[in-house]
Amino acid sequence: MKRSRIQRKEVLTLAVAVVLGVTWTAQAMIPAVSGPVFNLTAREGYIQTPDGGSYYMWGYANGAGIMQYPGPTLEVQQGDIVEVNLRSELEVPVSIVFPGQVGVTATGGQAGLLTREAPANNGGVVQYTFEATHAGTYLYHSGTNAELQVEMGLVGALIVRPQGVPAGEKWAYNHADSAYDHEYLFLFTELDPVIHEQAQLGLWDQIDFTQYWPVNWFINGRCAPDVMLPAHYPLLPTQPYNCMPRMHPGDRLLMRCIGAGRDLHPFHTHGNNFLQIARDGRLLSSDPTLGANLAMSDFTLLTAPGETADAIFTWTGEKLGWDIYGHAPEDPLEPGEYAPDHGKPFPVNLPDKKDLTFGATYSGSPFLGAMGTLPPGEGGFNIYGGYFYMWHSHNEKEMVNNDIFPGGLMTMCIVEPPGTPIDMMMP
Amino acid sequence: MTTLRKVMAALLIFGVIAGLAIPLEAAVKTQYVPDTDPEDSDGDGDPFNDHVLIHMAAGDGFANMADGKLQYIFGFTDVTGVPDGMIIMHAMVGADWPSPTIRLREGQKLYLNLTNVGMMVRPDLFDPHTIHWHGFPQAAPIFDGVPDASVSINMGSTLTYYYNVVEPGTFIWHCHVEATEHMQMGMLGQLYVEPRQNMLPDGTDLNGFTHHTGYKYAYNDGDGSTYYDVDYPIQIESFDPAFHDASLTVQPLPFAMMDDKYPMLNGRGYPDTTKPYPLMNTASDEGWPDRESQKIDALIEAVQGQKVLLRISSLSTTENFTLTVAGIPMRVVGKGARLLRGPNGEDLSYMTNSVTLGGGEAKDVILDTTDVPVGTYVLYSTNLNALSNNTEDFGGMMTEIVISAP
Repeated sequence: MKRSRIQRKEVLTLAVAVVLGVTWTAQAMIPAVSGPVFNLTAREGYIQTPDGGSYYMWGYANGAGIMQYPGPTLEVQQGDIVEVNLRSELEVPVSIVFPGQVGVTATGGQAGLLTREAPANNGGVVQYTFEATHAGTYLYHSGTNAELQVEMGLVGALIVRPQGVPAGEKWAYNHADSAYDHEYLFLFTELDPVIHEQAQLGLWDQIDFTQYWPVNWFINGRCAPDVMLPAHYPLLPTQPYNCMPRMHPGDRLLMRCIGAGRDLHPFHTHGNNFLQIARDGRLLSSDPTLGANLAMSDFTLLTAPGETADAIFTWTGEKLGWDIYGHAPEDPLEPGEYAPDHGKPFPVNLPDKKDLTFGATYSGSPFLGAMGTLPPGEGGFNIYGGYFYMWHSHNEKEMVNNDIFPGGLMTMCIVEPPGTPIDMMMP
Repeated sequence: MTTLRKVMAALLIFGVIAGLAIPLEAAVKTQYVPDTDPEDSDGDGDPFNDHVLIHMAAGDGFANMADGKLQYIFGFTDVTGVPDGMIIMHAMVGADWPSPTIRLREGQKLYLNLTNVGMMVRPDLFDPHTIHWHGFPQAAPIFDGVPDASVSINMGSTLTYYYNVVEPGTFIWHCHVEATEHMQMGMLGQLYVEPRQNMLPDGTDLNGFTHHTGYKYAYNDGDGSTYYDVDYPIQIESFDPAFHDASLTVQPLPFAMMDDKYPMLNGRGYPDTTKPYPLMNTASDEGWPDRESQKIDALIEAVQGQKVLLRISSLSTTENFTLTVAGIPMRVVGKGARLLRGPNGEDLSYMTNSVTLGGGEAKDVILDTTDVPVGTYVLYSTNLNALSNNTEDFGGMMTEIVISAP
């Protein structure tokens, strides 16, 4: 049966993940640790992938916490003097480099190739200090034996929040062109299980990166559909971050994208183009007073290893030629509704239900905020009747979990009907 | 293939439909609403021709690679105008590679019918299909073609998509059901929309550039900066022969080990890219009728002095590729179906010798042949290992640009 390739268990897991991701934590803020002083410890641990994989990893832990993949998202204010204290409880030394930051000084620890390192087996502390002069989205990762340690999981995001933002607004950079309503992190990595199995067994001499062959792909440390479970989900203790972007029509959604692995990933947003406003922590601008005047609209963002990009995504459903709410002409307008399409009928007849295969997140109705009847066992996982858009790597090979489709570098962005609660804090 | 085998295959699908007690015609049903409103939304002077009917059939088929290897494929073929009752018989094992190019004009309204004609070579499969218009602005899920978020059409039936075409540019279309599999297997096509600016009255002044009837532009640039004489859609694709062979021989599909060996432009490896005629497959090697499945070539021809618009897109499912034109400068004027221009009119177009595309990207490139000597030039991938047809070490992602004397 062809349907079973998308196994029933996978479909159920996806659906449950979406429901939990939407109702439980649904934070509009990006979960992060606030600075400007951070205490990180490199520890070992295991992560889980939806294909049943369990992989030995190294990761940065926050203080006395457990290892996490990716490392804690560090949040500071523009102008802060950032201080990161690092220890290594691994049997190897570890360090941190901060691409894009200027004037990083390292003290303590022991000498290393790219920077000073925290000695192995908790042999000391290395301290990194820098001034976060520019707002934006940045990457941090180990600078020690980086080809191995980055693969093992020693990566993370750094967010520098801009100064001078008017009260009540949220900006990514020092200009209103970077204003947003919701923000989400998209940190892309990949994994070759052979490397991790060899590391787990201590077979360091056998690790051969010329044979590198990734078969799992991650957003924020989780493969789809786990990526749609809530953040800080108890069954994924070493993978605390999720990626479940949600918005209302007309909202501005900030995508903070980071290429944290060694491969490029073309990230495609279904639903609309995004506007890329920044690259590598700098607004695409020819003059600070002109804002993001070099911004580019696109439907696929090719993120390169070590590169960060910020983009604003919006969706209104305008000019489709039919009323997306299924209104009759005399019904009132929804907030932000494209008035010229109000009341226009749905333009085609959908086939009979037995001629269709239904998606797990289809509400049963083509209209926003509406539900429709579905055959038994179908749907039921779109609790607000929102519009779901798959956001994914367009190298489709990367939408797989170790030979099992679907999975990998994929999530869903939900455009919820106006008024749906999104900015809920975790209980 | 023997007539008996073909008849049995047809009976199989007819039997499945009949078993549901639904007449075949009712399940394969073209929908189209003629344009009766008096608004001339596409600007061509006729207010009653703004609606477009296209009918695609989705199924399986065969295509030969440039080294002769026959590959089993999934794909679409154009069945616009074929009577509903004949579509399945007409299109079975008849997929094109790549899928037909969809050409539209800004202001048109498209009724895109999709009939799933089943996979006769693999009668154990009953995959549904969808059409995803990649890059359609403000898309609604019901017409976006992502099966998890909406609906997909089962074998023997028809789903009609509706698009109000408001954005010009170079797009992509493909099936999104079991995307890794169906896209690797070849359900990939090109799509572009010509801008409304093409329809301006003769003599219109565009900020110093004078428009004349017949002039074409890539976007509504307002100044003629994306004017071109001839355009060529060029799509990057690649096949993994192990994957296609596993599909043909009912083996587990190698998703994790997917490794493309046939890099292609418009569904062909060099020298097939330069053959300006349809190519017949050798499906008879597998017992099915031979068909002209590769209808699109990649030969680019222009007269010296002309501007050539290359509508470049990529649908490789595994890798990113870089293209260059040796001897002709390239100017990138559009990206992601948008003119490269800032909000205050900043010109973001740029000259280059290379364009890099990951899967799902599209870029508009203009070649200005004004000072280019007459002759034959090469558009090729600078991923030099891609200049091969599997183990045949000269071929692959390369085609020719022939510039003739005025």
